Amino acid sequence: MKLSDKSSKTEVSSYCYQCVAGPDLIKIDIKDGVATGIRPNFSASEIHPAGGKVCVKAFGLVQKTYNPNRVLTPMKRTNPKKGRDQDPCFEPISWDEALETIAEKLNKARDDGLSDSSGFPRVAASFGGGGTPTSYMGTFPAFLSAWGSVDMSFGSGQGVKCYHSEHLYGELWHRAFIVTPDTPLSELVLSFGTNTEASSGVCGVKRHADARGRGAKRIQIEPHLSVTGACSAQWIPIKPKTDAVFLFAMIHILLHEEKRTRLDIAYLRDHTSSPYLLAPNGFYLREEKSLKPLVWDMKTGKAVAYDTPGTEPALDGTFTASGIETGADEKSWSHENVKCQPAFTELVDHVQSYTPEWAAEICDVPASTIRDVATQYLDHAHIGETIEIEGMELPFRPVAISLGKTVNNGWGGYECCWGRTVMACLVGALEVPGGTLGTTVRLNRPAGNRWSSVTPGPDGFMYYPMNPTSKEEWISRSPSRHSHRTLVPLAANSPWSQALGPTHLAWMQQQKGFDHLPEPTQPDVWFVYRTNPAISFWDTGAIVDVMANFPFTVCFAYTHDETNHMADILLPECTDLEGLQLIRIGGTKYQEQFWDYQGFALRDPAIKARGEARDFTWISTELAKRTGLLKKYNAAINKGAGGVPLRGENYDFSLSEDTPHEVEEIWDTICRAASAEVTDGEQSQGLEYFREHGHRVKKFSRQRWYLYPEMIRQGLRFELPYQERLFRIGQELGARLHEQGITWWDRQLLEYEPMPKWHDLPGLWERALSTRFEIDIDDYPFWLITARSMQYAWGGNAGLQMIDEVAKNIAGHGGIIMNPQAAQKLGLSDGDVVEVSSPIGKTSGAVVLRNGIRPDTLLMIGQFDHWVTPFAKDLPSPSMNSLTPMMLELTDATGSGSDLVRVAVTPVGGRS
Amino acid sequence: MTRWAMAVDLNRCVGCQTCTAACKHVNATAPGVQWRKVLDFEVGEFPDVRRAFVPVGCMHCDDPPCLDVCPSTATKKRDDGIVSIDYGICIGCSYCAVACPYQARWKVDVPNAAFKSAQMRHEIVNEREERRSVAQKCTFCTNRIDRGLKNGLTPGVDPEATPACVNSCIADALHFGDIEDPQSNVSKQLSEHKYYQMHEEVGTGPGLFYLWNFGSAKETSTEPALMVADPVGASAVSPKLQTSWDWRAAANFIFGGAGAGLFAAATIAGYQTGYSWLAALIAMALVGAGLFCVWLEIGRPWRFLNVYLHAKRSWMTREAFAAVPFFGLGILAAYTSSPVIWFAAAGLGLVFLYCQGRILQAAKGIPAWRQDEIVPLIVATGLTEGLGLFAIIAMVAGLGESALNMVILALLVMVLIRYFAWYRYRKSLGQVGAPTKTFEELDRGILNLSLKTQLLVLVVVAAGLAIPAMLVPGGLLALLSGWVFKFTLITRAAFDQGYAVERMPARGAGDSGPGIKPGWTLS
Repeated sequence: MKLSDKSSKTEVSSYCYQCVAGPDLIKIDIKDGVATGIRPNFSASEIHPAGGKVCVKAFGLVQKTYNPNRVLTPMKRTNPKKGRDQDPCFEPISWDEALETIAEKLNKARDDGLSDSSGFPRVAASFGGGGTPTSYMGTFPAFLSAWGSVDMSFGSGQGVKCYHSEHLYGELWHRAFIVTPDTPLSELVLSFGTNTEASSGVCGVKRHADARGRGAKRIQIEPHLSVTGACSAQWIPIKPKTDAVFLFAMIHILLHEEKRTRLDIAYLRDHTSSPYLLAPNGFYLREEKSLKPLVWDMKTGKAVAYDTPGTEPALDGTFTASGIETGADEKSWSHENVKCQPAFTELVDHVQSYTPEWAAEICDVPASTIRDVATQYLDHAHIGETIEIEGMELPFRPVAISLGKTVNNGWGGYECCWGRTVMACLVGALEVPGGTLGTTVRLNRPAGNRWSSVTPGPDGFMYYPMNPTSKEEWISRSPSRHSHRTLVPLAANSPWSQALGPTHLAWMQQQKGFDHLPEPTQPDVWFVYRTNPAISFWDTGAIVDVMANFPFTVCFAYTHDETNHMADILLPECTDLEGLQLIRIGGTKYQEQFWDYQGFALRDPAIKARGEARDFTWISTELAKRTGLLKKYNAAINKGAGGVPLRGENYDFSLSEDTPHEVEEIWDTICRAASAEVTDGEQSQGLEYFREHGHRVKKFSRQRWYLYPEMIRQGLRFELPYQERLFRIGQELGARLHEQGITWWDRQLLEYEPMPKWHDLPGLWERALSTRFEIDIDDYPFWLITARSMQYAWGGNAGLQMIDEVAKNIAGHGGIIMNPQAAQKLGLSDGDVVEVSSPIGKTSGAVVLRNGIRPDTLLMIGQFDHWVTPFAKDLPSPSMNSLTPMMLELTDATGSGSDLVRVAVTPVGGRS
Repeated sequence: MTRWAMAVDLNRCVGCQTCTAACKHVNATAPGVQWRKVLDFEVGEFPDVRRAFVPVGCMHCDDPPCLDVCPSTATKKRDDGIVSIDYGICIGCSYCAVACPYQARWKVDVPNAAFKSAQMRHEIVNEREERRSVAQKCTFCTNRIDRGLKNGLTPGVDPEATPACVNSCIADALHFGDIEDPQSNVSKQLSEHKYYQMHEEVGTGPGLFYLWNFGSAKETSTEPALMVADPVGASAVSPKLQTSWDWRAAANFIFGGAGAGLFAAATIAGYQTGYSWLAALIAMALVGAGLFCVWLEIGRPWRFLNVYLHAKRSWMTREAFAAVPFFGLGILAAYTSSPVIWFAAAGLGLVFLYCQGRILQAAKGIPAWRQDEIVPLIVATGLTEGLGLFAIIAMVAGLGESALNMVILALLVMVLIRYFAWYRYRKSLGQVGAPTKTFEELDRGILNLSLKTQLLVLVVVAAGLAIPAMLVPGGLLALLSGWVFKFTLITRAAFDQGYAVERMPARGAGDSGPGIKPGWTLS
């Protein structure tokens, strides 16, 4: 059926994947060819984890489509000067002119070589939304694949506004790009700032509501009473950036104040590195010949390789043993009868001083509260119990800990992720029913499901694709401007790795290059889609200056905005309700999408595209044609760049590679391959089938929600609590950097501790700001933090009136949330307009008094500060992005930073 | 019998506003209009703070005040309990809006245009012209229920027959069903939870039931929702000044009351001293001016005759019914000296004045108005104002000294009676409580009904016994202090009921907590 034949339709099926918590399935109501409404897709209620429902953002799609402020024709910049103060003087042009202009730049770049003199790709691209733009960009990934090397390091929030440390350490430890409780079975969830009810989408909200409905308990530990705190049984207001001490103190309680028998000793012994013996230099003591880590066998009273059958490894104690110790750069020590302890004993010693009383002083939570929480955690762990999951008996441990943004990224992220995962291991709750789980993989391959990504690695642990740190293999010139392969071994080298690098370094090096790294260069061509780093990153003033210097920027533009204010070409693409695409659904996906099915869903255009907007697949094909890449482009589609490989064991729907294909032909073919994949080659219906049904799925085993069965099957252990591998890699990385003369990453090297110690993190911020900006930190007495808003998060919808209207029903939108005690000291009342300033900038807004926030903390919800985006620019909403500096000192070893800054508040008069 | 109702599980609601948005979609409501919305409540002081989200909208009350007050019968209650509005006969007087204690009624005069520059295509397609300038509110998605039932579907179970907000709720916090059917969704929820109804003390029998804890049977808090006079961060849920009735409505009470009072005074005085056609005409002009002002306020002014459709229940209809013969007989009286006609006309004027008192009393959405004591106060102040005005007219017209002294004495008595009525009203209001700002406005200023001011009025009026000319300022003071009071009552002290949480919900394994009635106080 052609789009033009659809005018008589009254509804179509589609999906909403505006945020990472999707995709969710929708129905669109159509009247007289006009999309009039969005509804849940109840025909998918049996297969979708949230019964086919969608969140408030999806209901903004109709207004998003008909927004009078949309860019509806291709445009070119006529003012060559770029900058915030420059009018771009965009003029409408034809698609032909737009595409030819872009192709000319691309062809020139290709002629000059894919990489420039610094080794950086000449073409860069920035996509927002945690990968979700892929579900709206049709076959553009095929074009990028055909093109070759592309720099994706100019982030729009990655690294500074994501779960960065969790992504990297989570994938290392349990294939968990995102970590979540097994909510449907949980009894107790300790949530350190996880804003589930704002960030975890429809599935997360439904799972947690169901858990509350059966009397489960969640304790929210965070500086302010978020919507998630509101939905929790208890709120514990903790001082910002001190979550690690709470976690460390809980580990102390479990190890020093509770009986060992309350822990899951068997799990620790058999499924973690706890029994591995540690040699004097901090590396494992290894068997001489095999170099396998040794454990102390209590049956035979001697050290044996960890995988020796029939042993009973010791967890507690000090033993005398002999063996080899292997350090960094293959340095080796031979030990004869040395005293050594299992990693578990080392852990016990490590946390000895981390008492609740010690923690209370730092995190401002009473020791009795910490003890109470830790005790509840043990009480609910159900050590020894099992549960049957689809015929398989698995451990049942219904306790979990989740971490939110600013807790699980930036300095302290490692400590918190480690603390959380160790807490899970102590009660055997990692990757088992009821416990702490991962959702999906992004750095390990294949990304399709977590079980398949589990392969054996060294020392009985899973393989992890670290960026090399050996002398021979270390990559001194990373093919990205943020040097992720040079600086961050954990960032790996998957298609997602660039997004997991230290993205603010890409922006920072454009301001001033880093010593002993390649000279900073600008990309010849920069593509931007569904992202607006000019307001969504940090130090937004500096970011704008950087992008104003880029020579040629192509923005797929929805409306004019702050980033495409710097563009040379604007391309209007079909938006959510106008474009055609098939995507994968099901399996396990962040944030809390755990399906019993997997398959595909269609985004069927509900209406004819407005104006001159074109389907992204058409644009991609045209670019491929005009850059001579058609064959490679079609080959990429055949290989699966459209989301489905067109060739399988029992089928082959490959497109001819020499000719361009129409949009519907491409997606019809992809639909056929999808049908074949879902039915193991038995069926091959195409677009028509999906238009009728909306989706097509097959069963996904619930056993696959848990990594534990696959770890058992492959005889692998979780690499916890001791980080011998990271300890070694850190030393090697330090050596490589120093060999190259790089010393500015030394602070980051300190993160490579085998077990993290508490470092004064609030003090780290205070010192860094004081030193860099030569300020008295006491002049900036408040910690400023942010929180997600379900209405806005990821949606790019700050320009929609309806979203603004409904979001305002939730306190704090558009203002600065402040504790009344703090306000009283400043003589402020509810609604007073204040200026909030950090050492690098200022923003203003109205005070919103709420008792649910610490007196030393301020909160700004969402990300605003728009100065171009229609409608949004007129909102009086403050934003912390212009106040938060990009600083190396505040960048952790994974390359991430936390949304946190010290600020001052000054009344400016007036009331909102 | 069937009564459709909704159970709202406060343990599950996350405040996401998906229901708000879904409702706006399905019902194509105007920017700013939210038939369904979710409120954000916070209770307590740091660090012992609770926060809860409370969906509100039309409660489809068992005894809906909006139904009682509607002068045109546009508001109806169906046999299945759904309160509906017939847009075709609604005159847009907004009486229902001030009668609703849940702030659930809206009136929009312009076509939908979220972006003010122009209507978007979906706004044009979805345009509902019949809703312009008349009352609108949540319908419980009546059309879906009716269509579903016709097709054998069960509302609350089958999405096609269920309100859009319930369908959209991502936390499954909203349940819909027939409360009279023990097997329905709602009945089951009520049997498994403790629940309350909002503003139960107003006696409306709301059809939204708020589940606040596990357990069985209805159980309100042992600690009733706490009135917090000046709550922190609760401006969105605290009482707000009603905007449905402005100075035009106030003018009806000001001029109508004084006019009716004047006619009564002129009738009684005229019986002794001869009737004054001028006083009669001034009285009728005042009443007429008041009615003209209120006519200017109604959304569909040319439907004004529909106001006569609801004599059984609405005091606004009854006021209108009293007005017509009042004018007829009043004009007749002005041309005759027949005491029968004068007294008949004056009697109708008093009925008109009494209706005004009852109009306010029936407006259950405004705590300052709905007090029983408002009726005698409105009558007393109308009569006092009328008498004050008559005194001035009499003075100017040169009434004889003894007659003038009788007027002065009568006025002194009326001022005392009015003060007594005010005292009763204010004391009673203070005992049951009202929005903090209502008290602030009622007690603000100098020219009001307070003891100090009224003593001054008495002194100045009494001075007329010695210096007859003092009757002019005395009468004016009596008149103006009444007018200022009524203007304040209608436009400045008329804070709505606001919202309240009877009990903060238990979240999962947590405990429930005391509720809050923000922005309220005893005084």
